[in-house]
Amino acid sequence: MTIAVILEQVPDVVEELAIAPSGNELDRDTVTYVLNEYDDHALEEALLLAEASGDEVIAVGIDTTGELDQALYTALAKGAKRAIKLVGDFEETWLSNRATAEILAPILRNLAPRLVLTGVQAPDDLDGQLAPTLAALLGWPHASVVIGTEFSDGRLRARKELWGGMTLLLELEPPAILGIQAARQAPRYVPVSRVRQVMREATIEEIEVELPTQPSVAVERLRLPEEASQAELLTGSAAEIAERMIELLRARGLL
Amino acid sequence: MLSTPERIAFLLLALVSLLLTAHGVSRLVRAIGRGQGRPRWSLFVRRVVPVSLDILLQRPIFRARPWVSLLHAGIFFAFVFYGLVNILDILEGFTGFTTLHRGGIAGAYNLVADLLSVAALVGMIGLLFRRFGLRPFRFNERVLLLPSVRFGIARDSAIVGGFILLHVGSRWVGQAVRIAESGHSDWSQPTASLVARLFTGWEVETLALASHVTWWLALGLILAFLPYFPYSKHIHLFMAPLNLILREERPLGQLEPPVARDGQLGSERLEQLRWFQILDAYACIMCNRCQDVCPAHGTGRALSPAALEINKRYYLNRNLRAFAGGTSSPPLLEIATSKEAVWACTTCAACVRICPVGNRPMLDLIDIRRALVNQGDPLDPNLQAALESLGRYGNSFGKPARQRARWAKELPFTIKDARKEPVEYLWFVGDFASFDPRMQENTKTVAWLFHTAGLDFGLLYEDERNAGNDVRRVGEEGLFELLVEQNLRAFEKAQFRAIVTTDPHSYNALKNEYAAFGFSVPVYHYTEVLAQLLEDGRLTVRQPLAAAVTYHDPCYLGRYNRITAAPRRILRALGAELREMPRHGENTYCCGAGGGQIWMASDGEERPSEQRIREAVQLGEDLRYFVVACPKDMAMYSDAVKTTGYEGRLVVTDIARLVASAVGFEEAPVFAATEERS
Amino acid sequence: MAQRIAVLVEHLDGEPTDVTYELLGVARRMADEDGAMVDAVLLGSEVRQLSERLPADRVTILDHPSLRYLAPEAAARALAALLADAPPKLTLVPNTSLGMDIAAWVAARLGWPLVSYCRALESRDGQWIATAQLFGGKILADVALGDEPAIIGALAGAFSQDAASPGPPGTIEQVPAPAELEQLRSRVIALERPEAADVDITRAEKIVAVGRGIESKDNLELAEQLAQALGAVLAASRPLVDAGWLPRSRQVGKSGLKVKPKLYVALGISGAPEHLEGMKDAELIIAINKDPKAPIFTVADYGAVADLFEVAEALLERLEG
Repeated sequence: MTIAVILEQVPDVVEELAIAPSGNELDRDTVTYVLNEYDDHALEEALLLAEASGDEVIAVGIDTTGELDQALYTALAKGAKRAIKLVGDFEETWLSNRATAEILAPILRNLAPRLVLTGVQAPDDLDGQLAPTLAALLGWPHASVVIGTEFSDGRLRARKELWGGMTLLLELEPPAILGIQAARQAPRYVPVSRVRQVMREATIEEIEVELPTQPSVAVERLRLPEEASQAELLTGSAAEIAERMIELLRARGLL
Repeated sequence: MLSTPERIAFLLLALVSLLLTAHGVSRLVRAIGRGQGRPRWSLFVRRVVPVSLDILLQRPIFRARPWVSLLHAGIFFAFVFYGLVNILDILEGFTGFTTLHRGGIAGAYNLVADLLSVAALVGMIGLLFRRFGLRPFRFNERVLLLPSVRFGIARDSAIVGGFILLHVGSRWVGQAVRIAESGHSDWSQPTASLVARLFTGWEVETLALASHVTWWLALGLILAFLPYFPYSKHIHLFMAPLNLILREERPLGQLEPPVARDGQLGSERLEQLRWFQILDAYACIMCNRCQDVCPAHGTGRALSPAALEINKRYYLNRNLRAFAGGTSSPPLLEIATSKEAVWACTTCAACVRICPVGNRPMLDLIDIRRALVNQGDPLDPNLQAALESLGRYGNSFGKPARQRARWAKELPFTIKDARKEPVEYLWFVGDFASFDPRMQENTKTVAWLFHTAGLDFGLLYEDERNAGNDVRRVGEEGLFELLVEQNLRAFEKAQFRAIVTTDPHSYNALKNEYAAFGFSVPVYHYTEVLAQLLEDGRLTVRQPLAAAVTYHDPCYLGRYNRITAAPRRILRALGAELREMPRHGENTYCCGAGGGQIWMASDGEERPSEQRIREAVQLGEDLRYFVVACPKDMAMYSDAVKTTGYEGRLVVTDIARLVASAVGFEEAPVFAATEERS
Repeated sequence: MAQRIAVLVEHLDGEPTDVTYELLGVARRMADEDGAMVDAVLLGSEVRQLSERLPADRVTILDHPSLRYLAPEAAARALAALLADAPPKLTLVPNTSLGMDIAAWVAARLGWPLVSYCRALESRDGQWIATAQLFGGKILADVALGDEPAIIGALAGAFSQDAASPGPPGTIEQVPAPAELEQLRSRVIALERPEAADVDITRAEKIVAVGRGIESKDNLELAEQLAQALGAVLAASRPLVDAGWLPRSRQVGKSGLKVKPKLYVALGISGAPEHLEGMKDAELIIAINKDPKAPIFTVADYGAVADLFEVAEALLERLEG
C-alpha cells in the first residue's frame, strides 16, 4: 500500500522578489526555487505514517522549473521508495493549482495510493489550494490544515486545525487527500552524503504529461504592496528607546 | 649473591611473569589492531629521535602544572635510569659482579642511581599525597563514568604508587644494607649511606637476609607487576612514546577524514575508531589535564575529555579478552561518553594540545558526531536549521547568497570583484563578518584600512560560501565537501595571489583542510596583513592608543595555527599597553562558539566567554579594551560583557577598530564605543 | 432575476464568526454598487435561529447533520450542489481553515475561477478587481473578474472596515439537502477544544508578544518579567508555540487567537501575514526588531530597530527600579 506525496518547487520568499517588465509575472532573475515548506512537512508526515504502517511513500512532482530533481532525490534519501517526475513542455510556465490538479489526477488514479499528502498551501496559490482541488477532481474525501494523522483500522484519522487551539478530529475512508499544515515533528535532516549516495544509486521515474487547457484566472498585473503606514521609528540607545516607550504609554494612560 | 634455589626460583618466576605479560600484551595489541587503519611504521625512523628528545626534556609534561611536572620528572628520570639499574642488579644477583665501593664509571653510576632513587621516592610521595590528600580529581556531576572507574583509578594509582615506592624503596634500602654489610659508607651513594647508619649493629646474618629480601622485593615486584601493566595506566611508559612517535604529521587544524565502512561514516563503537584512538586509551595517564582546560567542563557541562579516554580504558580492562577476540562492543554513547557531552564540544583543541601523551579526545567526539549525523539522529533544531541554511544558501543565516556582500555597498568606494579582475589578495570575509549586523561595522573598517593602505584586494561577492570548517566539525562531512566544491568553483573564476580572511575558522579551513582538495595558495589572517601594513608604513599611527588592553587569542588562530605574534605586533605598534591574561597564546581559553555551538540553542549554563571576561577584569581596574580578532569572538564577548555586568567597564573591540582609530580616520566608521566611554 | 452575491456563513457553536460579518459587509458594498442582492448561504445542522442574525437580503439554509461543523467533504458538496442550481455572480468564502477546504473544491467541481488570499475587492470601470496576496504578502496580484460566476476566498480581517453588524435578514429560505450527503466518505469524530487555559489572551488589555527573535526558551523569563512590569499578558507567535515554549492558548495569529488589546508590544516578531491577521487591529502597537525590513513595522504605530534584549532590560530597569 502506498502514500503519495506531491512536491512542488516554489519561489523562495526569503529573496527579494521583483516583477518582470511585462507586469504580470515575476522577474525570473530574482527568483530561486526551493521546495515548498509545507510539502516538506507533508513528506515528513507521510514518512512517519509509513514507518508505522509499512506503506511505501511515493514522491511525485511536476517539473516546471527544471530544478525538481534535488527535492525528489532528497525525498528518496529520507526514505521514500519511489520518485516520479512529471515532465512536459512547461518552459517556465506558471501552473495554477487547477492545471496542476488536472495533470496529477490521472497519474494518481493510476498509482492508486490510499492516501495523498501535500502541503496545505504554497506561496503562489492564487486559485485556491491543491489538496481540495485534487479532491474535487478525483472525488476523494479531503481535509486541509492538518496537524496530525493516524491510520486506525484501515481508516484514516486526521486532526484539522480550526483556530484558537480548537481542532476537528475527522475520519476519512481511503483513498483520501490531506493538505498538511505541520507534520508531527519537524522535517528530518538528511545528511548531504546520503543525498549524494542516492543520486548515484537511485533513479527518478519520468512520465511525460501534457499541459492542460484550462481556463485559469488571468493575472492582470502583479504589484508590490504599498508601503502602508510605516511605524514611527524610535531611535537612539536602548535606554533612550525605553524612555520614549514609557512616555508614550504614560501619555495614553497605559502605565 | 643468590643461592641456586633462588636463581631457579627467580628464573621460573621470570618465565611465568613474562608469559603472563606476553599474553596480556598480545591481547592489548589485538585490541588496538581492531581499530581502523594501520600505523605507518616508516614514521618510526623519522620520529623516534625528535620524540625521544622531547620526552627526555619532558616538554609535553611541562606545558602545565609546573610543580607536579617537576615531581614527575624526578620519577621519570629515575625510571629511565632504573632500566639499567635493574639489569645490573640482576647481574649482581646472579654473578659476583658488584658496583659497590668501586670508583670511576661505577661510582658515577652509583651516584646517579642514588640521587634518582630519592628523586623517585620524593616524587612518588608527593604525587600520592596530591592524589589522596589534596584530592584534586573531580568530574562534573553529569559526566558519564563507568561504574568501575572511580574506585578503579584510586586503586590503580595506589598500586602503581605502592609498586614504585616499594620497588625503588627496597632497592635503595637494599643498597643501604649492603653498604652497612661492607662496614663503611660509599661516597658514590650518599643517601643510601645515610640510611645505612640505621643498620649499624645489625648481625651479619640479618644483614645478609635483609640484602636478599630487599633484592627480591625490588626485582620480584617488577615480575609481579609486569602482567598488571596492560591493565594499569602505568603502561603509558611504552604507549605514550609510541603514540607520539607514530602520530601522523598533519597540522592540528586538519581533521582526519571520517572512518567509512560500507556507506556509514563516523564511529559508533570502539572498534570503529581508528587504531590510534584505541591506543589513546592505553596511553592515557588519567591526569585530567585535558579536563582542566576544557571550556565545556569548566562551565559545568557533561563533557570531560578525560572521562572519555578513561572510560574507554576501563571498558577495555574489563572486556579485553572478548574485545581482543573480536566481539562487538556496546555503542560509545553507552560506555565512553554521553550524547549531551558529544554535542557540548567546542572543538577548541585545548585537550589535544595539553595532553602529555599525545591523545586526541576531540577527534573521538567528532567521529561520534559524524556517525550521529550520518545515521539521521535527531539534531538540535537550531543546528539543523543552520545546516539546512548552509546547504541551501551557503551561509548559516538563512539569507540568500545574493545578500552576502551587501555591507560593501555601504562603503564610499567600490571593492574590486575578484571574479572580474585580477587582485593580489582575495578577501574571504566569512559568514558572521558578512551577515551579522554588529560585525558588519568591523568588516567595513577592515575594508577601509585595506583601501587606505593601498592594498590590492577583491571579493568573491555572492559566490563566497561558508568555508565549512565548523560544518566538518559538527560531523556533516557531505555538506562540508559540498561547500568546498562550491568555493573552489568560485576560486577558479577568480584570479588572485593569496587569500586574506577576517575569520580564523575560515582561515583554518582554507589553510589546512582545502589542501586535500587540491587547493594551495598562501592564506593570511587579516592581523598578519595589518601588522605588515603598519610595519611597512602603509598605515601610520597618528594617535597612539594610550590604554591598557588585553588580547584574546582565537582558538583557531592562536592554538590551531600558532599565529600569536602578529596581533601583538599591531598592539605594540599602536602604543597600547598589553596585559596578558593567564591563559593566552597557544594556551588561550575558548569563547565557546566553535564546533557548531554558536548555531545551537543555549542551554542556560554559564558560558566560557563569561568566565573569560572575569579572567580579563582581574588584570586591573584600568583595563580598557578586550581586543578580539574573530567575528564569533566579537559576538560572544559583546554578549558576555553585558551578562557579567562589566559593560561599562570593559570595552570589547575588534583589533581593526583600534587600528582605524589610531590611524586617525575622520571618515572611518565612527568608533562609537570609545565615545560612549569617554 | 437580480444578480446575487453569495456569502458562505462560517459559524461554530451557534455563533457566526467575525469574518462572516466582514464578508456580509463587503458583499453589501458590492451588491449596492451592482444593484445585486446579498445571499447568505448557511450550511449547518439545526441552524435556523442563527439565520436571524445575518444581515443579508436573503438567507439560504441547507440543513443536514453532516454540516454541523462545516466538515470539508460535506460542506463542499453541499455548497457546490446549491450553487450549481442557481449560480450567483460572485461567491465570497472566508479564506480560513474551514473555508479553504470548501472554496477550492467547489471551484474545481463547478469549473469556476477562484481568487484566494483576497485582501481587496475594488470596482474599476464596471469590473470588479480582486487583489490576492502572494509570496507571504510580498507580491499582490490583481485579477479582473469577468461576467462568469466566480468564487473569492477572502482573508479574515482584510475587510474589517466593511464589517456589517448582526441584524435580521430580508427573507429566509431553506433548500433540500442533496442526496450525496448520505454517501459521504468522511465524518467528524469530535470537535476538540484546548484545555481551559490559564489565561485568555483575547481578553487581555495589554499584551507583550514574543517571536523567533527571542532566540531561546531561556529568554522567555525576561519577556515574562517585562509583561508583568507592564501589567500585560505574555503571548507568542506560532513558531514558539510549535516548538513547545508556550502553550497554544498564547498563540496570536490566523490559526491561533485574534486579539484587539489596548497595547500590543511585539518583541522579535517579523510579522508574517498569518501573525498580522491576529493582532493588526490592536489600538497601540509597538514593535522591536533587529531587521528594519520586518513586515511588523507596517502595522505598528511605533517601532524601534534595536536589540530586543537591550530594550527589554532598559524598560525593566525603569519600570521596576
